[in-house]
Amino acid sequence: MAPTSPLQDDHGKTAGRGQITIRSHGADISFPELAYTYPLKLLSPRIVQDGVGVVYMLSYGGGLVGGDSVHLSVDVGPGPRLVLLSQGSTKVFKTRAGSRAAPTRAGNDFAATRQRLDARVAAGGALLLLPDPVTCFRGAAYEQVQTLRLAAGASAVLLDWYTAGRRARGEAWAFARYRSVNEVFVDGARVARDAVLLDGCPDAVHPLPARALADKMAPYACYATVLLFGPLVGELVGELDARFKEISVFQVREPLEVLWSLSAVQGQGRILRVAGKETEDVRNWLKEALRALEKVVGDDVYNKAFV
Amino acid sequence: MADDAESYLLLVLSDANLPTGSFVASAGLESHVAHAVFHLGGPRDPMGACIAFLRDSVATYARSALPFARDAQRIIMDYATGDVLDPVSSAGSTLDVLARLDALYDTNTLNHVSRRASRSQGVALLTLHSKGFTRPAILSPPTDDTLSSEARNALAREKRVGTLLDEFKLRIRRDETFGHLPVCWGLLAGALGLSLDRGAHLHLFLHARGVLSAAIRMNAIGPYAAQQLLLHAVRPMVDAEASGARELRTGLLEPTLLTAEADEVDVFRDAEQMPSTTWPLGELLAGRHDLLHSRIFNS
Repeated sequence: MAPTSPLQDDHGKTAGRGQITIRSHGADISFPELAYTYPLKLLSPRIVQDGVGVVYMLSYGGGLVGGDSVHLSVDVGPGPRLVLLSQGSTKVFKTRAGSRAAPTRAGNDFAATRQRLDARVAAGGALLLLPDPVTCFRGAAYEQVQTLRLAAGASAVLLDWYTAGRRARGEAWAFARYRSVNEVFVDGARVARDAVLLDGCPDAVHPLPARALADKMAPYACYATVLLFGPLVGELVGELDARFKEISVFQVREPLEVLWSLSAVQGQGRILRVAGKETEDVRNWLKEALRALEKVVGDDVYNKAFV
Repeated sequence: MADDAESYLLLVLSDANLPTGSFVASAGLESHVAHAVFHLGGPRDPMGACIAFLRDSVATYARSALPFARDAQRIIMDYATGDVLDPVSSAGSTLDVLARLDALYDTNTLNHVSRRASRSQGVALLTLHSKGFTRPAILSPPTDDTLSSEARNALAREKRVGTLLDEFKLRIRRDETFGHLPVCWGLLAGALGLSLDRGAHLHLFLHARGVLSAAIRMNAIGPYAAQQLLLHAVRPMVDAEASGARELRTGLLEPTLLTAEADEVDVFRDAEQMPSTTWPLGELLAGRHDLLHSRIFNS
């Protein structure tokens, strides 16, 4: 399917749809389906690594605005390893540049930007979602719901991260809302539901002093969550477990530049949380910490992530 | 329940000496202090730091745990009055629904330290009920015809909910369910006959008071200052957050929510109605508690 003209959903907003289906045939992979509609764009570069496919998730104009919604469905068969990447952070604007119409509050329905991912991975397959972070600009409202349905024996890496905003313009946690739900099912059973809500306009509670979102997120400017499941991340999980156990925290005088934690979750998975004072610190930390994934997708492909 | 009876229950339940295991929990405060995040506003403002921590902690706990406490309480209230609709039709299936609620809380609670603290405090509440709140034999009225039908019903209810709680505790012991704090709290509050709003509000208040007790033990704040906060700061935040979480649902009691093959149109609406955490830094630092070189709390 070729890209088509903008679709309008029943709210008159721009709704992009995407479908990625990947299969393997011995060492070769194929994409029986790779389809998308505006404002979503999918590009698959040629990859030499056996059994590995890469798809870039792009948005036209490099950003999304209030009211945009994007829904991507992914189907990974038994065998292939699919890496989903983006090119640069996902920028979320309150309104389209040059547009004078501000998102309006109709009931509770603030004109949010919405991204939806639903993915199925068959036994032996792997999905590695390693995008750049989401950056919500001043006043933007963003919501994403990502659902992974893994067969027993399937593997997945889901990276979900976001920044404080356009810090060059002095913005820090100045967006209206950020909501992210990551849900993982293994063999039909829910094993993890990671739901985060950041409200940029919290109600005042009289007589308490005001507490802005920026106060709550300080001193960090970038937060990341990584969910890890399945046999192909076994070596990585072993490394992270050992590394985390080694840490001993004595009373520190200044908050650390990068902070991370690791917890086991149901389904033999792990959840890794990282916070950093700079987005680049988090990026570098992740790139180094997840490097065992090179063995899963190859050096060349791994080096396309975290650039 | 009559107001005076409820007021008396509140007195009993707010006793700081109740053995609920909360005195070994700091809800992440100890880790915040060790990581130099607690005193971001400067070392000279312990009260401001405490208020900030309390607000973030109370807000995220309200949004992530209160829906579970309320649903657990709804389940046991339905069961206790015998006013039972499917699927909560008998003790066995009520226990199954509770176990699913418990499991759902576990999948929503993604750091191991908070999960551990939640489970140990949950089972402690059920023990408190069976050992501390059941009617002693010496005070049980004789079971003869002299009892009014009202009193007889009340006794039957007590017995009914007592059995359910004991059975649930047995399932926890057998590792068949987790026994998470909000679920066990909802059971206790429902067993004792508190209203839903009272139950949720008191649970949140006790969470806040637990944080303040931990702050005193850590010398982060003095005992008088803590009392000032309890009287003047905790109430508005607990009121605001308990009422803000009132309409949230775990999804378990609404067949339209939480289906694995949820209608795509509804996933965002579901996300809005269902629990979430609101404090990523709190989550991360709570998860680092076990890494502290020296510590006085378990969480």
